[in-house]
Amino acid sequence: MTTQRFEGLSQRLLRAGIAPRHVKRMVGEIEAHFADLVAELRSAGLSQAESESQAAVRLGTEDVLIANILAHPELRSWARQRPWLTFVLLPLFALAVQFVLSMLAAVAVVAFSTEVLGITALYPGPVPWIVRGLQAYGVWIAPIAAAAAACFLAVRSGAPLTWPIVGCALVALLGAATNASFEWSPAVPRGVLSGGIGLHLPDLGLTSGLRAALTILTVLVPVLWLRRKRRELTSIP
Amino acid sequence: MTQNASLMSGVPELLVLRLLSTREMYGYELARAVRESTRQAISLGEGVLYPALHAMESRGFVKARRRTVSGRTRVYYAITPRGNRRLGELSGEWRRIAGGVRALLEGT
Repeated sequence: MTTQRFEGLSQRLLRAGIAPRHVKRMVGEIEAHFADLVAELRSAGLSQAESESQAAVRLGTEDVLIANILAHPELRSWARQRPWLTFVLLPLFALAVQFVLSMLAAVAVVAFSTEVLGITALYPGPVPWIVRGLQAYGVWIAPIAAAAAACFLAVRSGAPLTWPIVGCALVALLGAATNASFEWSPAVPRGVLSGGIGLHLPDLGLTSGLRAALTILTVLVPVLWLRRKRRELTSIP
Repeated sequence: MTQNASLMSGVPELLVLRLLSTREMYGYELARAVRESTRQAISLGEGVLYPALHAMESRGFVKARRRTVSGRTRVYYAITPRGNRRLGELSGEWRRIAGGVRALLEGT
């Protein structure tokens, strides 16, 4: 566990983009090294205070340690090495995957209800509600979930928010441009399921614009608040 | 004694790989071994060892494992076959440079 002496080093390394697994282990090793140096100097007859002071000199100042660690780009987290991929392309991909899966789930629910449970369009029970829920998930929740995951990852790793904001905006626009609808009409004994998905780009109407704005606000307001809180908590006096 | 930074670049990697080629060690042991084996001619900020070790681990030159000895858990580093090849390259490079500098100094 990191003591107060090295907590500042740990936080500064995380904020600088060093991978958490490297930070945790390296700070632990530096801390153990410090303890070994203090024990060595104590056994040479120095006082505790003198030993700690000399041990700190031999290890190097916090600034020197950080400069040396930052000189190795391979120690940076994956997200910091490729922020455009982590915070823009992955959320867009995650949105597409969630949308497709929610639509497939809706089709599967209807197919299972009619084929296995024998439910018909005349007496559909809860099936339309489930389908509407999945549809709402694909259209409304999926963009928020994809953008929020990227933004919260950025806050957690202390990454700058430029790329996550770009990703959030693109996900919001793509989400707002996407539509899905299901119609289960009781035309024949089992009913006819018709569905459609649509993408209206680049002409986003007012409704789509509002949807995009809602997604952006829903994600960014708590993210910015959380980031501010984390900065207050981790600021070293 | 101050040490020229550009002359020292790459030295920690060479020293660490050379020392680990004899046996596995943890950071503090390595720092002591560097001091002793270079007769204190090379004094690295001891904290510098850790980023160098982690970077070498990322590049596959060393591998790390936790071991508990006398009730204390430490991270021990051992050289890998890839690290041995890297050590050969670095040693050759340093011998070539040292030979060149020696030839220059003896020639003047």
